Amino acid sequence: MDIVEIKNLTFKYPQQEVQNFNNFNLKIKKGEWLAIIGHNGSGKSTLVRLIDGLLAPESGEITVSGIKLTPESVWDVRSKIGMVFQNPDNQFVGANVEDDVAFGLENAAIPREEMLIRVRQALERVGMWEFADHEPVRLSGGQKQRVALAGIIALKPEIIILDEATSMLDPEGRQSVLEIIRELNQVEHLTVISITHDIDEASNAQRVVVLDDGKIVQDDIPAKIFSHGASLVKIGLEPPFSEKLKEELIKQEIKVPDEYLTKEGMVDWLWQLFSKQ
Amino acid sequence: MAMAIIFKAVNYTYQPNTPFEQQALENISAEIPTGSYTALIGHTGSGKSTFLQHLNGLLRPTSGVIHVGKQIITPETKNKQLGELRKHVGIVFQFPEAQLFEETVIKDIAFAPKNFGKTEEEAETIARRMAQQVGLDDELLSKSPFELSGGQMRRVAIAGILAMEPEILVLDEPTAGLDPQGRLEIMEMFKRLKEEQNLTVVLVTHQMDDVAKYADNVIVLEKGKQIASGTPSEIFAQPNWLVEHHLALPKAGEFALEFEKKTGYKFATLPLTEVSLARQIASLLHGGGVHHG
Repeated sequence: MDIVEIKNLTFKYPQQEVQNFNNFNLKIKKGEWLAIIGHNGSGKSTLVRLIDGLLAPESGEITVSGIKLTPESVWDVRSKIGMVFQNPDNQFVGANVEDDVAFGLENAAIPREEMLIRVRQALERVGMWEFADHEPVRLSGGQKQRVALAGIIALKPEIIILDEATSMLDPEGRQSVLEIIRELNQVEHLTVISITHDIDEASNAQRVVVLDDGKIVQDDIPAKIFSHGASLVKIGLEPPFSEKLKEELIKQEIKVPDEYLTKEGMVDWLWQLFSKQ
Repeated sequence: MAMAIIFKAVNYTYQPNTPFEQQALENISAEIPTGSYTALIGHTGSGKSTFLQHLNGLLRPTSGVIHVGKQIITPETKNKQLGELRKHVGIVFQFPEAQLFEETVIKDIAFAPKNFGKTEEEAETIARRMAQQVGLDDELLSKSPFELSGGQMRRVAIAGILAMEPEILVLDEPTAGLDPQGRLEIMEMFKRLKEEQNLTVVLVTHQMDDVAKYADNVIVLEKGKQIASGTPSEIFAQPNWLVEHHLALPKAGEFALEFEKKTGYKFATLPLTEVSLARQIASLLHGGGVHHG
């Protein structure tokens, strides 16, 4: 079943002359983890804002979880979607961490008793419960982002959209957020749409869509996309380390294999090369 | 002019003597040498941002002394005395484009020099030069900064800081949110600017690959304390220590360790960049030193 269906979407920003999307189509399966990649300005963020009804299309149809997106249905659609943005500073409303997570639940008129339970569960899940009474201003960017994620988990959406949500986290923070997302995707079958430039995040996805100029230029499994090696940087993805190393080895006049190798694969290949000596 | 930064026994406490009291910096004594490219690293909540805000007097220490060139900052230093300091230390905060506000790109870049007493004409000359330095095309200068792409806006904001002609440039995750191509361009730009203008650069980052590639000096903070300082090779020399402190090796270093484990070969020094890793692999392969046969 498709949880998101976009049909013949056309959109442009008011001041712009060219269309950002022209007759654009995309289907996202329920429970799927879809990574959307593309360089800055390729239309990634615009696309997810259209799905969430933050922007309105000129024409075309967007259906989310069986609801056709209209000005009347936009709040129903949004209740299905949790969105984590890139900059954690722009998404804090509460006076402290606990209040911040509770804010969305209050809006959704969840009874207080259940609210307290959900807030605690969500904060424990992201490892921020011990900070429940901290003021947001005092938290670092990574901590804020985990709180933002807790605020979404508490609302139990069907779809989580990550708009470069891990790009400001330290490596450990990024891993812990991805771990949470993996659980939500695999155990609770939440649909995940992640916009990212990060190869680790993209490799979690079952499917990668590459956007350029508002068009889907590739739609494939991660390993296929990653085999493009160094040219990945042009489509907005940091090339895997193994591909960067290959390039440097070529400069050292060492012959390297063409196909995509993971880090482990690369070590194995080098081991064989050395064994032949 | 010598513009070293020296922290002597610096403490900083947020909201002292209240229930919200929180010590963010604890007894920091550190040096950022003139002309160095110093990386400031540390896990989430380590005090990096607080440290940074002391560099141009946005925060003053609760106790201790900071020297920035000739200027001395103590808990008693008055705001008035900090104006001079702010001409010398330019801070590029995270998402600096959020601070753009002028009608045109050129006006935005010229704002700081005008504010610091240059004439309109002088300020615009400086602004044009800075725009060129950060790679903004002339045709963009008369546009509204809000019509530009994210990467271009970032460049305008950076040009605005450079227009103050600072001697110390402080960068707080300056490439966050840019795509990989944009990230590389901006980091290479800072490298070039540092060399051309003999700047002292302080970079706050989580990207250990950038630390290995660009920095010559590293300060590691943890829970408000300085737990290490030295060259990247010194900092990354002990993988176990890094793990204990929730820090990562650059990817090349990680790869090198796995390679050593698998093959039994040993690198002369742990490679920290792809370039150095590839060179060392080639040298091992061509019988450089460790060859056994």
